[in-house]
Formats: sequence, structure tokens, C-alpha cells
Amino acid sequence: MIAAFVVLNAVLVMVAYLTLLERKFAARMQSRIGPYYVGRPHGWLQPVADAIKLLLKEDIVPTAADRWVYNLAPIVFLLPCLLIFATIPFAPELGVADLNIGVLFFLAVSALEIVGLFMGGWGSNNKYALLSAMRAVNQIISYDLPFIFAALVPVVLAGSMQMSAIVAAQQGLWFVAYPLVGQLAFVAFLIATLAAENRVPFDILEAESELVAGFRVEYSGMKFALIQLGEYAHMLGTSFLGALLFLGGWLGPGPVALGPVWFVLKALLVFLVITWVRWSFVRIRVDQILAISWKLLLPATLVLLLATGLVVALRGAGGA
Amino acid sequence: MTLETVGFWVVAALLLVSSLAVVLTPNLFHAVLYLAAALVATGAVFLLLEQPFLFAVQLLLYAGGVVTIVVFAIMLTERLVGERVGQASRHPLNGAIVAAAVFAGIVGFLIQAPIRATAPAPVVDTTASIGRALVGPFAVTLELLGVLLVAALLGALYFARSEE
Repeated sequence: MIAAFVVLNAVLVMVAYLTLLERKFAARMQSRIGPYYVGRPHGWLQPVADAIKLLLKEDIVPTAADRWVYNLAPIVFLLPCLLIFATIPFAPELGVADLNIGVLFFLAVSALEIVGLFMGGWGSNNKYALLSAMRAVNQIISYDLPFIFAALVPVVLAGSMQMSAIVAAQQGLWFVAYPLVGQLAFVAFLIATLAAENRVPFDILEAESELVAGFRVEYSGMKFALIQLGEYAHMLGTSFLGALLFLGGWLGPGPVALGPVWFVLKALLVFLVITWVRWSFVRIRVDQILAISWKLLLPATLVLLLATGLVVALRGAGGA
Repeated sequence: MTLETVGFWVVAALLLVSSLAVVLTPNLFHAVLYLAAALVATGAVFLLLEQPFLFAVQLLLYAGGVVTIVVFAIMLTERLVGERVGQASRHPLNGAIVAAAVFAGIVGFLIQAPIRATAPAPVVDTTASIGRALVGPFAVTLELLGVLLVAALLGALYFARSEE
């Protein structure tokens, strides 16, 4: 109970500062300064100011909206995004619950996110929101499978779905350094993550030049904040998952107490790679997105998973 | 009553209400959302039975499945914007009779089975034993299901191919 409380609050604070990090990073890439004046130096109070602003904003419900669905959607969207942190251990024995199906739980719960998203898009009764929600369903169904297959490669290598066991199996060699299968799986994982988070180049569902802001176009004030919160929490959670599956989790030089520090740094590294791609690439078309998933990523990750199975079978024991 | 019993009754009530709402709601979109709630509640039942693996699989398979149903329901029956098409049954009385008969049948079946006072000893690692069972005694079933899915996939490809 206490652990859940601590983790939840830590996640919320981290998510708030993740937005600042992204804005600063984006500004750097575009030769700007980014947030600066709210809290010197370098606008460190900006997330707090944003939160207060969103709390004070007027809450508008469109008259044509499906009221119940519209009001419930941000919560349904946010819940799974926060629940995924339940199985992430931040150090040995330091986490809410180290389930023996940890990775599967993460994948299953984050798959629920789309329900809230679709509720928002449909409930708004707005053509842009609905188009965005339909695109989101298309995209998420397409990229769920490659994402799962890529995440299963470390599971097969470690012979366990338990998060702590996967980290323990990387004691000698991080899975990202595992010859061939490790790197390919990591790249596939990153691409599928970009798509699952709806980031550029896969952000057709909020393509601001055609769909205004996508499924959240009608949301304002705190409901908008909840959706943003969910989105960034999901991104943070997936970054943690990537760091855990491929980058050795809390393993690193120095005393054991430094473990959580290493883990957070690695997760931030994954996040920055995602952000870097976001601010460097252009949006691609719907058909291109679907073609990448079904014609390239899905067969590739399937073959990769089979190859990993073969590797594990050949090397014998397999950790299990 | 233990906490577990309370949990069971809460989940059971949720499951019952949302399942009823699926068939009784006139609005198709709401019905699908209730279906999602019912499926998650079913997952919670698995969780109460200490089967986290089944819980996760239930969420993973049906969450995506439900959303697919929503999309198809909208594409097939409703206009994107405009009036909503009703989907409620035109024969509620006949339906109720059939439902009552099925209920009676299930209850009759259940009271024949002996009621065990205590829960059976829990298997230590159900996930591993499910995995072993799937490639052990049920290997043929698993393979047959795989063949079935491949057949379904080929059928879908056949329908989706361009007219040539």
C-alpha cells in the first residue's frame, strides 16, 4: 500500500518534469531556449505553472457530446497508464508487486488504453475526434503484435516473464548487447513503441494540420490534463520497460543503492531517443504506417522470436 | 465474510449488471462499452481465483478485441455522424424465456456437482504449468487451433484480395 502510494506520486512528479525535459530538448534541437522565465534558472517551475493553469481553466462539455462517455473517457484512459507501473521494480525488492507474469501484465494493461481513447474520440461527437480515434484503433491493432513479439525476445532469453528475473538474467550481458537478436529486437521495440505512443512519425491520429488535435480536441481544463498525464505516463512506463528488458534495469557500476538511479537514467535515455526521433522526422501516411507494420515489422519480429527460441535451445539451459 | 468473499460479490454484481446492460442498452456504442466492462470483470474473477496469467490474457486478447468490435459495429451499422441505429432485440419475451431455460439448466447442472467446502491446494506456479500443459498433453489441440487460425487468416486474405 505504502509502496503503491510512493510509486504513484513519484511517477506523477516525473511525468510533470518529463514535459519540461521534452520541451527543453526540443528547443535545443531547434536552436531555441525553451521555457525560461517561470522559475529561474531554465524554467524549472514551468510544470507547476502548467498544472495550476490547467486546474483553473474552464471545463467545457460540448452540447452534442455523449456526456457519460465523454466525462468518463479521461479516467478510463489514465487508469491503465498508471497501473502499468505496478509491476515495474525500481531495484531488487523495491516495487509495488513483482508478479511472475510481470511483462504480460504490463502488455495486457497497456492494451486497455485504447478503450479510453476511443471513448474520448467517440463521446466528443466531433468529426476530427472520431477520425482520430478510428486511426488510433487501426494503428494500435497493427502495432500491438510487433510490440509484444519484440518484448518477448528478452522474455525468451531470460526464460521468465518476471521483471526481476529478466534483470537478473542480464547480469553478465545486457540483452541489447546480445549478438544480433538483442539489437534487432531493441530496434523493433523502439519502432513499435513510437507507434504505440502515437509519436511522430506515427502521429497520424493527432496530426495537427489535418485533425486539429485528434481525439482530445474537445477536452479542456483538467480532463485535458488527465489525458496528457496518461499519455506521458504511458511513455514513461514504456521507457522503463525498455530499460528493464534491454538495458539491464538497475544493473550498473557502483554500490547496489545506486540501482534506482541507473534505472531512471536508462529509462530517460530511452525516452530521449523517442523524443529525438519525434523532433527529427516528418509524419508518414496512414497506408505507409500500416504497410510498415504488417509487411515489415510483424514478419520480422516473428522470425526474430523464432530465431531467439533457436538460440536459447542451442545454448542449452536457457536460464529457466 | 472475508475480504475475498466481499471482492467476489462486488465483481459478480458488476459482471451481472454489465452483462445485462450489454443486451438491454439500445445504444450500440454503449453496449460495446458495457461488454468491455463485463470482460474486465471476468478477468477480475480469474484474479480472485489466483490465476494472474488468465487475467492478463483475458485483458490482452479481449481489450483489443472489443475495440475491433466497436469499429466494425460502427462501420457496419451506424453512420459516422447522424442518427443512431437501434440494436435491441425485437422479441424480448422470447429471449427472456430462452435465457431463463439456460439459467435453469446451468443451475441444475451445478447443484448435481458436489460442493467442496475448501479450496483445492493451489498450484505453486500456474503459469509454468499452463505452459507445460499446452506443449505436453494438449499439444495436438494447440496445433489444431493454430491450423484453424491460419485457415481464418487465409479466408480473410481471400476476401480482401483485389478483384483481378
